[in-house]
Amino acid sequence: MGNFEYIDISGDVGLRAFGSTLKEAFLNASLGMYSLITNLDSIAVEKTAALSVESHSLDGLLVSWLNELIFRFDTYGFIGKKVTIDTLECDTGNRAGLNTCKLSAVIEGEEFDPGRHEGKFLIKAATYHRLRIEKTDGQWEISVIFDI
Amino acid sequence: MLEKLKRIDETKIEIPADYKPGMRVGGIIYVDEVLEKALETQSVEQVANVATLPGIVKASMAMPDIHTGYGFAIGGVAAFELEGGIVSPGGVGYDINCGVRLLRSNLKREEAALRMKDLVGVLYTEIPSGVGSKGKIRLDPGNERELLLRGARWAVEQGFGNAEDLGKIESGGCIDGADPSLISSKAYERGRAQQGTLGSGNHFLEVQYIDEIYDEKAANSLGLFKDHVTVMIHTGSRGFGHQVCTDFLEVMERAINKYRIGLPDKELACAPLESPEARDYLAAMRAAANYAWANRQCIMHWAREAFLKVFQASPKKLGMELIYDVAHNIAKIEDHEVNGKKMKLIVHRKGATRAFPPGHPELPEIYRPLGQPVLIPGDMGRASYVLLGTEKAMKETFGSTCHGAGRIMSRHQAIKRAKGRAIWREMEDRGIIVRSAGRETLAEEMSEAYKDISSVVDVVHRAGISKKVARLRPLGVIKG
Repeated sequence: MGNFEYIDISGDVGLRAFGSTLKEAFLNASLGMYSLITNLDSIAVEKTAALSVESHSLDGLLVSWLNELIFRFDTYGFIGKKVTIDTLECDTGNRAGLNTCKLSAVIEGEEFDPGRHEGKFLIKAATYHRLRIEKTDGQWEISVIFDI
Repeated sequence: MLEKLKRIDETKIEIPADYKPGMRVGGIIYVDEVLEKALETQSVEQVANVATLPGIVKASMAMPDIHTGYGFAIGGVAAFELEGGIVSPGGVGYDINCGVRLLRSNLKREEAALRMKDLVGVLYTEIPSGVGSKGKIRLDPGNERELLLRGARWAVEQGFGNAEDLGKIESGGCIDGADPSLISSKAYERGRAQQGTLGSGNHFLEVQYIDEIYDEKAANSLGLFKDHVTVMIHTGSRGFGHQVCTDFLEVMERAINKYRIGLPDKELACAPLESPEARDYLAAMRAAANYAWANRQCIMHWAREAFLKVFQASPKKLGMELIYDVAHNIAKIEDHEVNGKKMKLIVHRKGATRAFPPGHPELPEIYRPLGQPVLIPGDMGRASYVLLGTEKAMKETFGSTCHGAGRIMSRHQAIKRAKGRAIWREMEDRGIIVRSAGRETLAEEMSEAYKDISSVVDVVHRAGISKKVARLRPLGVIKG
């Protein structure tokens, strides 16, 4: 489905997500995370949610974003099949040297039903552990580990 | 780097304070020569990193079930001075007050085994578990606030269990100093439908029998007899606690800039104990700890009901009394003696269990002559242990010991290893009935994925930081 692969780590699970743009890499990280929770083929597009997050670093933005998706799933059962990222931008530097990074996106999916959908990993949170967002040879690569 | 480690004696090694720059104290890892071979370099680095944090006292420690965590290693114990020290959410973990409780019973193994399939079926139906499952309890903002203040007491007031249970829970099932006004609306929302749920992953409810007694006098005093059935519950504060941790990691990330704390790893984000950020985190963490104690209380109540239903016996005849309930992911302010000096310290236990000695004023009266019961769950196929806290733990490890087996295989590795196998049938052939919501959970959680719990428990027993009382073997397991 998306361009991502799983990282093996003792105790928990992680993802490596790729994209020719940063937006695409974020999108693939989102889909990759959803695919750790359930089989995405079984998810229908019935509901949409418009979400946005802010942070003062790009790393922080990714962690906040994935944690927002985890919150939506764990609280309302909402799980996405399709992710459209509208905005992803960082303004560099205020006086304290902090950035303002913003992301807004639309998620299309449905409410998870344990009777119909397979439950794989119960993800508690996205972490900063070994977190990397890098561009090499024109390709973006994200590594992120989840607490399970 | 690992060649810099020095063996102190047969149960512990030292990370010298010059292992890496910035260490304020050394590190001590409780492992014998066999478990030392399984040490991950990264987890040793993490023990050393914790030793760089301001106000750390004596040593950064880790128990034999050590493995790599976020910032702090799992199995880590670290104590900080109240003045000049810090508190770190990474030293507690995402699952605040993840912990274990144990119930005894008058049932014998043979009687229970005959009805184990029915029992496991009823337990599985009555106790919500698994990814995306909803609890039977719906909280509104009013009663959720009450729950956060009162913990297991709240659950008892709602009819889950008895007042006598409360005396046999660490901190009485309700830690003082929780402040519900510091909880984000997200955490409230996330906790609304998850009270009274088991969760997934390594969380479980297990029906067991006592297969070996190491200290007969202590076992009898606890109400544990050979071949009697016990019930063990391992779960925590669910999404509520995870959200509190997530929220406060953001707060702490800002705090390290504000207070100019230099860190070797971002996941060690912390704040000076005297700062408003630290006070707020502790008050929110305590609310999450109370959420977890209420959770285990509710689940225990349903487990008792399931037994009454399946065995058609009176509560008195079944005798399902709570033995104890311990937290193994928590930070607490405690009195300790360091170099002959009495001190108040904030002790972080992340994947470590409190193990207070006989006579300690924080123990319930019935356990004061014995020492604190310590409950150590193993993997679902092998064994779990009951131990007691000791004076030596108080002297050496701030009254702490191990918390479980610790994984040796990643989850995907385990799933791969289990391909083509029916883990439930392998378990059934060994006389253990399992039910799990997730198809892959049993593969992830199979015995081979974990260290042998006996080797972990042997180290803490030989080190004298707790002593073995009884071994429990699984008969029936509910997994999320």
